[in-house]
Amino acid sequence: MEKRYRYFWTLLGIQARWLDKMSDRGLRLVRTEKLLYEFEPCAPGEYRYCVEFVAHLSRDKAEDYGRFLEDCGYRVWFKNANLDWNVGKVEVRPWAEPGGRLASNATTYNRELLIVEKKNDGKPFQLHSSNEDKARYYRAQRRPALFLFVIMAPLAVVLRSWPAGIFAVLALAMLLRCQLALAKLKRQGSLTE
Amino acid sequence: MRDNAKGGALTEVTFYILLALHRPRHGYAVMQFVEERTAGRLILGAGTLYGALNALQEKGWIAPVGADAGRKKEFAVTPLGREMAARELARLKELANTAEEILKEARNGEAIPLLLDAAGDPGPVAG
Repeated sequence: MEKRYRYFWTLLGIQARWLDKMSDRGLRLVRTEKLLYEFEPCAPGEYRYCVEFVAHLSRDKAEDYGRFLEDCGYRVWFKNANLDWNVGKVEVRPWAEPGGRLASNATTYNRELLIVEKKNDGKPFQLHSSNEDKARYYRAQRRPALFLFVIMAPLAVVLRSWPAGIFAVLALAMLLRCQLALAKLKRQGSLTE
Repeated sequence: MRDNAKGGALTEVTFYILLALHRPRHGYAVMQFVEERTAGRLILGAGTLYGALNALQEKGWIAPVGADAGRKKEFAVTPLGREMAARELARLKELANTAEEILKEARNGEAIPLLLDAAGDPGPVAG
């Protein structure tokens, strides 16, 4: 068993590419905790990974989605996007769907992401294939980024707070990434299929 | 999913899912069905399929079948879903017939399209 310690926040693509690289080196994910990733040996490139944002879903929906992916033959792990060791934490998420707007340790707090693994069949690993579904997924990620930016940017300016400024910049980067992806989909002109 | 149920136009993904579920299938089997039947042209991502299955369940076009004893959840088309698939087939047949008629007329020189190039001059005329 090999262990690595990493933190990717909500940089989903970077986390997935890192896991793909580990697989290319012959290491398959078997367990993950807050910062820990534990691997076992596998054939180089035997597995491919996707990291999915599920913080906007209710606990039931997120678990149902995870079970559905397992039924499709994938392995899934819930993963934290936050780095918070508080016990009994409750977070308000006005940007989530009903049922997910009060996230706690018992629901989706510290379970904001899903790492999905499939056996490498040579085809690209994409969980979202239609433009309309991709757009819906980007909008789900854009809402928390906008919320975080609206909260943190004024705090950074008014309180001259560096941490708030860093969060505002990160949120803005995430917001721009989603916006660019949505604009690209719109340019393709097939949002309504 | 932006199906135009009133006008009868379904998305290709919706139509294929309804066709796949004329026999009870679980998610992975639906993905395989679509990929095989389209010779790999249309590949459904599991996330997209999950959203589509939920949307179709909400519309009452498909429903889960069997007890929850097994881990894999199977779905099948409902009578309403069958009706929607039949309507879509009729719409596609009508579209195909119309297209065939017009293209045949064009080939036979019955319809002479006026083609203009970028400069506004008539281009080559069919027939």
